[in-house]
Amino acid sequence: MTEVYSMDPLIIKTPYEMSYKHSYGKTSKFFTSLSAGKLMATRCDHCKFTFLPPRADCPYCLAETKWVEISGKGIVHTFSTLYFSGEKFLKDLPFQLVYVELEGVDTLFLTRLKIKDKNSTKIGMKIKMKISREPEWRSSDVWAEPED
Amino acid sequence: MARKVAAVAGGLTYFSKARRDKTQEELAAEAARMALFDNDIDLGKDEIDGTIVSYFSDHFENQLLFGSIIQDYLGFNPKPSVRIEGGGATGGLAVRDAYAHVASGLLDVAMVIGFEKMSEVNTAKGNEFIALASDTDWDFPIGGFYSGYYALMARRHMEEFGTTEEQMAMVAVKNRNNAQHNKFAQTNPKMNPFGMKDGGKITVDDVLKSPYVAFPLKRLDICLMSDGAAVLILASEEKAKKITDTPIWITGTGAGTDAMRAGDRPRTLAGVPILPHENKQWYKKLEYPGVHSFRAGRESARQAYKMAGITNPLKQLDAIELHDAYTSSEIQTYEDLGLAKYGEGGKLVEDGVTAINGDLPVNPSGGLIGTMHAVGATGVMQAVEMFWQLQGVAGKFHGSDKTQVKNAERGLIHSHAGTGTYVTASIMER
Repeated sequence: MTEVYSMDPLIIKTPYEMSYKHSYGKTSKFFTSLSAGKLMATRCDHCKFTFLPPRADCPYCLAETKWVEISGKGIVHTFSTLYFSGEKFLKDLPFQLVYVELEGVDTLFLTRLKIKDKNSTKIGMKIKMKISREPEWRSSDVWAEPED
Repeated sequence: MARKVAAVAGGLTYFSKARRDKTQEELAAEAARMALFDNDIDLGKDEIDGTIVSYFSDHFENQLLFGSIIQDYLGFNPKPSVRIEGGGATGGLAVRDAYAHVASGLLDVAMVIGFEKMSEVNTAKGNEFIALASDTDWDFPIGGFYSGYYALMARRHMEEFGTTEEQMAMVAVKNRNNAQHNKFAQTNPKMNPFGMKDGGKITVDDVLKSPYVAFPLKRLDICLMSDGAAVLILASEEKAKKITDTPIWITGTGAGTDAMRAGDRPRTLAGVPILPHENKQWYKKLEYPGVHSFRAGRESARQAYKMAGITNPLKQLDAIELHDAYTSSEIQTYEDLGLAKYGEGGKLVEDGVTAINGDLPVNPSGGLIGTMHAVGATGVMQAVEMFWQLQGVAGKFHGSDKTQVKNAERGLIHSHAGTGTYVTASIMER
């Protein structure tokens, strides 16, 4: 039965649900490599540029890239602590997002920083990427932690 | 050779968190009626040759092909129409597209119809829909949403240049308080019957004490989510001179782009595209654009200035309406537009240069922070605002003379999507 929110003006509630069969295409390997404990990026040998998130095709020369393993070590480029979010992540609040500069990677990688004392996060701080043991097959399967 | 194009009329609705009294098409009609009947013009509705329809999301209303519904509702069938979408820059892109339609001769008189109704889902869901306009494979699944993305960029701007939260707060105060003299503004409960009950003037202290949404951005640093519509009418030179005695010419337009994932943007040493008044030496140690600046904004300005013959924007512009989705992004945009050196945007607001009575008022309307961000309407609203400013009739429409920039002859409008993915800048002149 249609739920009515108001009569003047008449406002009704309309639920809507969707499920997509989403393909990661040629970047699938990033996710499937995580179970072997490997963090993979893609590299264009022509442009000498390494991408994470991976791109199957180099945006600079449109050559196909190749997979390379990276160390997952890096530093914080910038950070933010979130106290609000989209509906889906309200349950996780507050959490920290960071752009990290990773060894051997030319792009910045956006990820969560899991840290005990959020006030201690600093630009330039050393981090190490961690991999979830229970994959959800999403970018949230990896995150950064301080490297002690 | 492109034809000269002028704005000849504009109309706005009252903006509100929720305009439940009207449907989206009824809001568009409210703005269209103002454009046709409240401007000093000699133009019948039947003289409109076609429309450019500007709205961002199919999700907010769960209705695709809404452009067709608008075209029908406003009675423009079977004339040509096209829908433009480009995230937050939707409105600016639509104005630019209408310019191209008229300049090319495809249309003689074009109506740009911008609207959005964001209130039919809750605020967190609305933020989630907007976050779907970020990379949903990589940036969204970790909890990313736009205030977070801009916060990361703002924090890096602070690191690079020493920009402060106080300077950001000054932007919020300027725009919010300008909006208190604009009857259309959502934060103006005294003049807008649909205004926020807890709106009104604010102080720097209010901003600094408002709760963090995403450090360093606080609730009052962030733009509104709105329902509403904006309509602008453009015409060819020949038509414009018959329609009005005070056409406002579009003398330049530019558009730029950048990577959806800001982390993918280059960090090139000395990579700043230099504007005519700038010196390459200023930026020889700066990695650009990184995540501290909007390369698309710089590119759009460079093109628009070149086309309009502007070599010193701070001196040659009299007013600006720019996309202040966040206080930080207004400061970043000052620099992209060449109003201040990269790194000195914060000082510009601190020195009062961009205040309503300053040398170059920015967002005299109240902007996205004070007035509205009904996404598809936003860039169109900026064009309407600048049109009224340059005609000298802003006070008449706003219901207060305090928003009118004295003797404004040339202005810039700036429209910006998701962390600077799409940006447009256009120059309007008396």
